[in-house]
Amino acid sequence: MKTEEPLVSGPGLEMDTMFVNLGPQHPSTHGVLRLGLTLAGEVITKAFPDIGYLHRGTEKLMETRSYHQCVVLTDRWDYCSAMPNNLAFCLAAEKLMAVQAPPRAQALRVITCELNRIASHLIFLGTYGIDIGAFTPFLYAFREREMILDLYEALCGARLTYNYIRLGGVASDVDADWTAKCREFLEFFKPRLDEYDTLLSFNPIFLARTKGIGVIPKETAAAWGLSGPNLRGSGAAYDVRKSEPYCGYETYDFDVPLGETGSCWDRYFCRVQEMRQSVRIVEAALAALPGGDLMAKGIAKLPKPPAGEAYAHVEASRGDLGIFLVSDGGTAPYRLHVRAPCFINLAILQDILVGKKVADVIAVLGSFDIVLGEVDR
Amino acid sequence: MGYFKEVSSASWAFCEGLWITLRYLFKPSVTVQYPTEKLVPYERFRGLLLFDAATCIACGLCAKACPSACIALEAQTHPETKKRVPKAEWYSLDLGKCNFCGLCQEACPTKPKSVWHSLDYELAFSTRDDMVRCWKPGFPLAGRVWDPVQKAFRDPESHISVREVQARI
Repeated sequence: MKTEEPLVSGPGLEMDTMFVNLGPQHPSTHGVLRLGLTLAGEVITKAFPDIGYLHRGTEKLMETRSYHQCVVLTDRWDYCSAMPNNLAFCLAAEKLMAVQAPPRAQALRVITCELNRIASHLIFLGTYGIDIGAFTPFLYAFREREMILDLYEALCGARLTYNYIRLGGVASDVDADWTAKCREFLEFFKPRLDEYDTLLSFNPIFLARTKGIGVIPKETAAAWGLSGPNLRGSGAAYDVRKSEPYCGYETYDFDVPLGETGSCWDRYFCRVQEMRQSVRIVEAALAALPGGDLMAKGIAKLPKPPAGEAYAHVEASRGDLGIFLVSDGGTAPYRLHVRAPCFINLAILQDILVGKKVADVIAVLGSFDIVLGEVDR
Repeated sequence: MGYFKEVSSASWAFCEGLWITLRYLFKPSVTVQYPTEKLVPYERFRGLLLFDAATCIACGLCAKACPSACIALEAQTHPETKKRVPKAEWYSLDLGKCNFCGLCQEACPTKPKSVWHSLDYELAFSTRDDMVRCWKPGFPLAGRVWDPVQKAFRDPESHISVREVQARI
């Protein structure tokens, strides 16, 4: 018997449908997302994600800000991992200005971005556990995240909105004390990953809730334009760090973990494995940290890039984050567009939620790891 | 048979999980008991903005650098010659708009910095008027707040612990 279809069907036996608002104040929507669900009994017949509750118009705001000030606004897109946002904007602007960050700055960019990926995936791990009903991993995940935030606080002065990666380089330097603390954290963190596997990844209850739920085949995932761990969970090997390396990612040795079936558990486990790879990258980058300047020469206080357009994309924690930047030669961007991974990942929900049960909605939604700050911008 | 297998594997996973949490039970807690126990942030931490009228030269670079236009100031004029004097007549910061990005501090040309991020992180305001800090010559580093009812400046209500010397580069 298939439970995914309403039992009562046929002429004269149509079931009354019910409309349910999931969100925008539901704690499991991870922000202010509203899902309009049409239910037949317990089965979803129609779902639509409704966004726009956190729209701040940063793309438009940037048209009136100088390039240095724009970096501050980029922090507010994906606030769980703000470092790749800074990086994507700076790479696009640097392309326009035809400058390149010095090697030490590039290594620091890699280190901070990968630490941010770990911090961001730890939020996912903790909150996804809570969504499914496991509270304990959340406390452990946030303990480790706190250590990364402490590292950031010591390095760039903020815990969430860093404004660390600047045009042509990075804002501040690391000292021996910081690198020692960072290594200490990595050593502490590696065995913790095994604990997460015991607590959550291979827990039979968690497996029953997530394995085989919300399956996205490789082709569907590619057709909807998914990126990041959501795409790799379906088995498609696409990673900007490999396909179009930036900041010297080609010199680091790391694997791109892939899922098998594209179910919620595959997307989840892809992220857990990515944390291991990030640890590897940070270790390698710390070991081979070159000396030298932090800032490229010739970055003006009020930069005026030559007229033209540039596109730069990075592998952010949640996927392929792209910035399209048009300059008319003035002090502010003429137009800026963000290819936000969360926004594009969210669209597939209306397709894959149909036919699922209400209880699975949270499991599927949580596995996409959306941040509404980036969806609405 | 499958039923018993499921039950036994679930209970084994339950025990495994409890074993991990049990080991942490006997380790010192990492939680900071916030209101009674307060951490001091790192040197570079960007907390509440403070201003020093004594060193300010009223150049206005901080106001230009600010991405959210939360800084306003006016330079003094000489009473006789009516020329601009490099001293601030008044200076105001809207902390409700502040991004805590540090660009104003970086733009400030004086030494020590006239506007800088202190280590204060306990920023809670009970009214919107409290968010706008004003400075005039002779005001404390934390600034004062304009009370529209009393038509006078008063000290900010909820301000706690200004660690003014730290983090001032």
